[in-house]
Amino acid sequence: MLPKFASVIAKTREEALSWLSSLENPRIIAGGTDLMVRMRAGKQYSRVIDVAGVPELLTMTETDGRLSVGSAMTHARLSTSEPIIRNARSLAMACGLVGSPQIRNMGTIGGNLANASPAADSIPPLLIHDAVLVLESKETRRRVPLEEVIVAPYVTSIDRKELLGSVEINPLRGYREGYRRVAKRATWAISRLGVAFAIREDKGRFTDVKLAIGSCTPMPFRPKKVEDLLKGAEKNEAIITEAIRMALEEIKLISGIRPSYAYKLPVLKGILEEVLRG
Amino acid sequence: MFIGQDITRVDALDKVLGTAAFAHDLKKNTMLFACVVRSSRPHAMIRKIDTSAALALDGVVKVLSHKDIPGENLFGAIKKDQPFLAEGRVRFKGEAILVVVGVTEEIARKASGLVDIEYEDLEYISDPFLSMRSPTLIQDGGNLLSHRKVIKGDAGKGFESSYVIVENTYSTTWIDHAYMETEAGIGYTDERGHIVVASSTQNIHYKMKEIARLLAIPPEQVRVVQATTGGGFGGKLDVTVEGYIALAVYHTKRPVVMRYTREESFLGQTKRHPLYIEYKTGAEKDGSLTAVEVNIIGDTGPYISYGETVCLRAAVHATGPYEVPNVLVNSRMFYTNNPVSGAMRGFGVPQLALAHESQLDEIAQRIGMDPLDIRMKNALKRGSLTATSQVLNHSAGLLETLKGIEPFWRARRKQGPGSGFGLGCMYYGIGNTGISNPSSCYLTFTPEGRVEMHSGVCDIGQGSDTVLLQILCDALGMEEMGIDLVRGDTDTSLDAGSTSASRQTYISGMAVCDAAQKMREYLEGQGYYSGKPLKDICREAAEKGLPVFNGHFDPPTTAPDPETSQGAPYATYAFATHMTEVHVDEVTGVCKAVKVHAAHDVGRAINVSNVKGQIYGGVAMGVGLALMEEFVPGKTESFDNYYLPTSMDMPEVEAIVVEDPEPTGPFGAKGVGEPALIPQAAAIVNAIKDATGVRMRRLPCDIERLKLALEKNKIE
Repeated sequence: MLPKFASVIAKTREEALSWLSSLENPRIIAGGTDLMVRMRAGKQYSRVIDVAGVPELLTMTETDGRLSVGSAMTHARLSTSEPIIRNARSLAMACGLVGSPQIRNMGTIGGNLANASPAADSIPPLLIHDAVLVLESKETRRRVPLEEVIVAPYVTSIDRKELLGSVEINPLRGYREGYRRVAKRATWAISRLGVAFAIREDKGRFTDVKLAIGSCTPMPFRPKKVEDLLKGAEKNEAIITEAIRMALEEIKLISGIRPSYAYKLPVLKGILEEVLRG
Repeated sequence: MFIGQDITRVDALDKVLGTAAFAHDLKKNTMLFACVVRSSRPHAMIRKIDTSAALALDGVVKVLSHKDIPGENLFGAIKKDQPFLAEGRVRFKGEAILVVVGVTEEIARKASGLVDIEYEDLEYISDPFLSMRSPTLIQDGGNLLSHRKVIKGDAGKGFESSYVIVENTYSTTWIDHAYMETEAGIGYTDERGHIVVASSTQNIHYKMKEIARLLAIPPEQVRVVQATTGGGFGGKLDVTVEGYIALAVYHTKRPVVMRYTREESFLGQTKRHPLYIEYKTGAEKDGSLTAVEVNIIGDTGPYISYGETVCLRAAVHATGPYEVPNVLVNSRMFYTNNPVSGAMRGFGVPQLALAHESQLDEIAQRIGMDPLDIRMKNALKRGSLTATSQVLNHSAGLLETLKGIEPFWRARRKQGPGSGFGLGCMYYGIGNTGISNPSSCYLTFTPEGRVEMHSGVCDIGQGSDTVLLQILCDALGMEEMGIDLVRGDTDTSLDAGSTSASRQTYISGMAVCDAAQKMREYLEGQGYYSGKPLKDICREAAEKGLPVFNGHFDPPTTAPDPETSQGAPYATYAFATHMTEVHVDEVTGVCKAVKVHAAHDVGRAINVSNVKGQIYGGVAMGVGLALMEEFVPGKTESFDNYYLPTSMDMPEVEAIVVEDPEPTGPFGAKGVGEPALIPQAAAIVNAIKDATGVRMRRLPCDIERLKLALEKNKIE
């Protein structure tokens, strides 16, 4: 059963920030697809601030070649948004694979980030787009790269008094970009593995390769050494094999050997082969 | 004519409008809420129970234990062995210990969390192989619940003369029924002082008797009503909430409502039996089966429920729908401290279908025969002897289902790598195994001139209400549906038996025909068929009391021989062939069932849409059984970690209805409820073999198991 709790509905960003500042131990809710589940399982959050309707968090703007995505935008909206499909195809694909239609209609990109699940579908795409989170409180405003915000599974460096206002991403044009994920059933499932990729090639060479792997290590990550190896390299089977070997090594270095790797590593190998071969 | 027509279901409008009152919707003024305190241990003695904190909570009305049961604290569909509330010892994690009654659901649940129970753990018997060795006895009589044999001919000699022998082991796991509506109900005392319980159930008269025994009151003082029920699949055959509701009403004298959360339903209720199956098949060079030897070991959990039923039914269906001259089956069911395994769509036969259909494909492969041809060669047909030497005198349409599939099978073309096709066949005895399982009903008139059908049949969503009305209309020769249905209430109906074993169309349908025959004779005498309006007949009859016509049917069966199980355990059998096309992604291990052709011999389709609906649903369940569903005791808690197929996992299904009329059935009908599921998992597993070369012998064949098998196959 869902416990009783008090909540306020913020109508503006200002209002949300002042509730955050004045309430003791506040919790932010947008879609509720994570928070409500936890509450139903017994977590008590007594002061909940609903930001789902805050107009400033529902907008998307383009400035200086960067795309700013409001944190309360739903997966459903992002998966069908024309600027996202054009500038960040992997993100549109990943958002379209989250949960079920109901979850995509409620769940938001900000919530997906703040929950910081190792299996969050939106994180690998955001990593390859060098996402920066805009975090605001009544007194402060800071911009932090996504990689630095997530400090452990389900733990972020976002302060209780901070509001995740927007996510800024670098558009990628002219890349072969996408998101591959594996789940136990066709939909409504948590990803067992997710790979975001954006690859640019020219005359048989990789000119730029961006990869991010989710659901494999405690936090989704970019195998930067692999990216560096491939950048500028001639595209052939030998380099692809070497790149994959390095990627798998890096995973083992991060997490050691886990029972789930008996499944995940061979699958990742196969997916990376497909992705790099194109 | 109503038979064979797509009559709109009588429950459709209410359900579409959302006005149907499911058990979860039932309410009464001043009602209390009850919930169950369950064991957190799989096997333990209860040393101490402290309810003081729970009782101290404001709004808690009662905390009931086994000491508060005035009658017998044991229930069971076949034998009475399971306590309603544990007495000193718990035998599975989730076993009920106390009932907490509060003024609200919140209070009752909060209070149940405040109960402090001290346990002293006993050895946890976690599987049947441990159970057969362990000195720890789960029940006083020993850990072997049941051992049934099927002996026909001489299997040893049959293998000696076989050209090819294939021997393998198969295993399946616990499956949850996962009905949309969890167990729920409401109870109260009526103006007569009778205890009334309305619940989500598959059988009302059985539950009436269990409540009467529990409370030590006559069954006539108990009324059980079936609320609109959101699915059953066997899980609502056992007593679920009904006993606790009745006990709480008895003690509080107030209306009491209960509804399980999904987590409680997973934890407390029965599951499909996991079976380990050692299977040896022999055949001649031409594909004719010579002998089958099967060793089945099942996990029934700590209480019987339908364990003996599954033990026997799995044994007598072990050969599959084929003529096998020499058969030796040993089927044993052991107690464990796992969840209680009970009835679930197919009673062990889907598990056996996995084995016999995989075996047949391997035989075919070894001798270079087409999988369809080997099935046609061995198919049971009219005049055949089953594994229990029953002669199939009547409806036996397996060959027709194979012929229905044949054009699609012969025209199949692989759609590139990862594409594959598989076949699965089955037969299934309609009704209970070798025991009496009658159904009764009665018909009367209303003074206004309508026929009134009183039916104790529980329609759990499969559409029996509509089907029985169609049967009655045609049996009476009515041109429009001028019938009022009075249903699902022990006060107003006779015992129709459970909605299980695919039996209601066949058995209750015949009971309706029997009553209709009598009513028809009466109407004949009254001139109805020569044009006298029913209104006039009823008005005249009402003066001296409206006549009542009872109907009854008990399918003719014989009890299986205790040593060999030879005999005629069922009056009739349903047959089916499924063909499934899969696509396997060898990189990820994801198998998608793409397309299914499902041909079913149903005797006669009373309502074609209903039949097809059963087939679509059965295929969906088969996809889950084959590819993803797995309850892990102690780990699985909810749909968070129990994967049920979604609409996106569903293949396109083409249902082919075959009608080989059954002379003992209503207008030739048999049944289709369980048959729809039974061959699907086998067809999928055979298709995976065709697609990848890998034979999966353990279910579910989920993405990880399949990928690991593919990797292993690559190395070999």
